[in-house]
Amino acid sequence: MGADIVTVSTDTQFVHLAWQRHEKELAVGQYSMGADPTVDLSRMFGVYDDSSGLALRVTFIINPAGILMNSEVNFYNMGRNIDELMRKFKANLYLAKKTDEGCPSKWQEEGDKTLKPSPDMVGRVHEALHE
Amino acid sequence: MSECRESHLKLGDQVLDFEIDTYEPSVKNFGKLSLEGQKIAGKWTILFFYPADFTFV
Repeated sequence: MGADIVTVSTDTQFVHLAWQRHEKELAVGQYSMGADPTVDLSRMFGVYDDSSGLALRVTFIINPAGILMNSEVNFYNMGRNIDELMRKFKANLYLAKKTDEGCPSKWQEEGDKTLKPSPDMVGRVHEALHE
Repeated sequence: MSECRESHLKLGDQVLDFEIDTYEPSVKNFGKLSLEGQKIAGKWTILFFYPADFTFV
């Protein structure tokens, strides 16, 4: 889909290798595993937790022009839903082509109902979504 | 990137160029990833931060 998924933690690439070899859950994972032992990248994105020395569970979507388009922040004890991440990514791809449209919360894929903000829609989002 | 570059990136902001070392399971080798390289290749980048290896992601 023209995107690279890169997982990042403050571990080194050597630890990533050891973990990927050892953990069977990662056997099929083919994503790049980014190393941020200096925590520069984690700080740059504001996800570094000084009190623990770790990065929070945060996802960013960056477009091909280098613009930050999306973020999702979860605390340590909550995992992320990859289906929701893919939904957001697909919506970003769609909206990059259709810049005058908006994807509502239930949008799943191209062909689903979108919204075009206009004076007619003010106070009539329900009708726009359901008629 | 020696100096601390703590920032408060907002959606819609241009992300400063960065380069990190990687491990690439697909080719079982080490590599590098830079935002500049992604821009030249015309690719989207999804950064997936997590606390530590050997924990759940």
